[in-house]
Amino acid sequence: MNNKSPVSDASQTSGNSNGRRGRRTAAPSPWRADAQPGAPKKRKPSRRDESGSIRALNPGWGYVFTAPFFIMFLIFGLAPVVYSTYIAFFNWDPLELEHPFVGFDNFALLLDDGQFWMAVGNTFSIWFFSTIPAMIMSIGLAAILRNPNLKAATFWRTILLVPNITSVLAIAIIFGQLFGRDFGLINLMLDIFGFDRHIDWITEQIPSHIAIATMITWRWVGYNSLIFLAAMLAIPNELYESASLDGASKWQTFRYVTLPQLRNTITFVLIVGTIGGLQVFAEPLTLGGNFNGGDSRQFSTLTLFLYEQAFVNNKWGYAAAVGIMITLIVLVISAINFWLTRRIASEDSK
Amino acid sequence: MKLMRNLKRISALLLTVFVTLGLVQPAKAATPVTITIWSFGNVIEPWAITEYKKLHPEVTLQIKKGELDAHHQSLITAFLAKKTPDIAAVEVSYSGYFRSYPSYFEDLRKAPYNSATIEKDYLDWRWDQGVGYDGTVFGLPTDVGGMQVAYRVDLFKKHGLPTDRKAVGELWPTWEKFISTGQKYNSKLTTAEKDSCKKKKICYGFIDNAGTIYNAVLNQASAKYYENNNTKDGKLIYSTNPAVKKAFDTTTKALKANIGTRINSFTSDWNVGMNNGIFATILAPAWMMDYIKQQAPKTKGKWDIADLPGGGGNLGGSQLTIPKSAKNKTAAWEFMSWYLAPAQQLTIFKKYGLFPSASSLYDDAALKNYKDPFFNNAPVGAIYTAGALQLKPIFEGKKQRAIDNIFGQALSRVAIGKQTPAAAWQQALSEIKKSVG
Repeated sequence: MNNKSPVSDASQTSGNSNGRRGRRTAAPSPWRADAQPGAPKKRKPSRRDESGSIRALNPGWGYVFTAPFFIMFLIFGLAPVVYSTYIAFFNWDPLELEHPFVGFDNFALLLDDGQFWMAVGNTFSIWFFSTIPAMIMSIGLAAILRNPNLKAATFWRTILLVPNITSVLAIAIIFGQLFGRDFGLINLMLDIFGFDRHIDWITEQIPSHIAIATMITWRWVGYNSLIFLAAMLAIPNELYESASLDGASKWQTFRYVTLPQLRNTITFVLIVGTIGGLQVFAEPLTLGGNFNGGDSRQFSTLTLFLYEQAFVNNKWGYAAAVGIMITLIVLVISAINFWLTRRIASEDSK
Repeated sequence: MKLMRNLKRISALLLTVFVTLGLVQPAKAATPVTITIWSFGNVIEPWAITEYKKLHPEVTLQIKKGELDAHHQSLITAFLAKKTPDIAAVEVSYSGYFRSYPSYFEDLRKAPYNSATIEKDYLDWRWDQGVGYDGTVFGLPTDVGGMQVAYRVDLFKKHGLPTDRKAVGELWPTWEKFISTGQKYNSKLTTAEKDSCKKKKICYGFIDNAGTIYNAVLNQASAKYYENNNTKDGKLIYSTNPAVKKAFDTTTKALKANIGTRINSFTSDWNVGMNNGIFATILAPAWMMDYIKQQAPKTKGKWDIADLPGGGGNLGGSQLTIPKSAKNKTAAWEFMSWYLAPAQQLTIFKKYGLFPSASSLYDDAALKNYKDPFFNNAPVGAIYTAGALQLKPIFEGKKQRAIDNIFGQALSRVAIGKQTPAAAWQQALSEIKKSVG
């Protein structure tokens, strides 16, 4: 009887005794009596009577159980998307009684719009500043938390989630004060370290991106590090043992054993972080106090730009076009992400 | 059996008594009504709520206070969903937008409102701000955002400027003189104050934000961004109206002269600045007085009010409206007409500083002689009345606020030195053209 869990069984590439039968299937699950090699095809009456279990139900019930989600998705997810796509082709002022059809004009105007491209640039810049350092910090934190000698491990792991459950508004208000030009703590710290002038974290472009990225990083590092921690704990100990047998240093172990095993997790965190990062809204809004994203639009992000067009300029058609562009950009980036990690992964297995 | 018969008789008697009592209602009892009000800032003051409850105990006022822009944005969605409050406050800069869509509001000229009977009580150009493009009266005016200059007497004394409000008003009959007074103030900053700017980055200055001069100057003109051509949207004149360029240029001059501390109003830095005397003047509409009292209560008695350069100004103000989809229109009108009646407007002014739009009060001794101890016993009633009467009505067009926004951003870029005034002006014009037309 196998003592290992079936999951690690399936991922082992070394041959197992069942391969002799010539079957190229995955290793059999130990608990299905009828799947053992050599088991008769006819089903013996198994110890557990399955007639009351879920598998014995009419498949129609499956639809009933999943229906609530799909109904909610239809009403709150799909319907607004379809409506948005529809109005993107109109000149849509909300209180007007008639909305003239304009075809692709909104999209043409959008691609020509300097403010839109500024928003795109800002969004990517903020994404860059928040995702890369956050990723490095999360992996580092996870490596620290993995240490079996860590005291009060549960406490540290729980505390990591606190930034994530704090209200975004509260975070933005506090960080807005920290990054204040005249009286903010960050600038006061810079004074202590001998910096000759205050950085205006809000009106200058790159500093404003760093300020917003800091807020986002602070919020997500804990959450991501818990994901990495889980992935690290799933790395089989044999790999570490063989690495130490080979005489690898701590850093080499990390670089050649841990990191490659985290590849899938990194992809996941990267994609989720990208989708979220490209739609940053609350932080720039609260930092700037209005929907422009700063007076020179220095931290106007895509979603903020969309909101501004919809609810400040009352141009719902134009805003819907922005929404569609955001979706396209996210899809493209996710596709690139996916392809990139596919390539790296396939290079690995050569 | 005798017991049963008696029981029946007693219960029949009791039934009769209770039914009679139920049918005979006291003459004044009215059905309880809840009026929902959507408002912002200090349009509906707390005193009104408690006072109205005393007068009409069956009426409950449910007030939802929002941030200025968010409030109007949710009003638009409420109109579309037909789930509106009973009373909605509309700020003057937004009334330019809503005047194009009067069909979403009750026409107050009609019965049972009959607004024509009270029209004469109100300042004419404030009344006009609640009239739609087709003549529908969709809102009644609340206050007048009459503007003057609130200044710190102690800081003026410290920096070699006169302190008597008449003398102060004579320092700056024009905006150019206001700017030069500011430069004079800055030149008299003590060494400690100048060092504080270099070392601690706390920069003292004459006025909180020179950008506020833009709206003050612009609202002294007779026209802003639009011209009333009796169409739904109005005619855009922002690029050709010399008053707009004049306001812009005056402000950039003030910005270049560095008379402001570049602190934005209603931020936490602004509160700190008020409390610590970082700036000595604020261009103050009447409703600003209450903000100063709340944010810097320790500075009581240190402020005074002087005349605005150029004579009279206006910033803000709002109308109270009854949306078409309101549920309790009659009850809403009863509250609204009570709250905006001259008597209540006078009380609100004394309590909160909101200057009344009821022009019938302007000759009232109670208003003229009112002195505010927080502001060094300045006769704020008389001062703001004089200002209000000097103002000319300005037509607010549909995309008023969007244009204001763009000019505001342009001025901010000049303020931080990111652009020259000429470049900022050109960029503003092209952005407006793209956004509005």
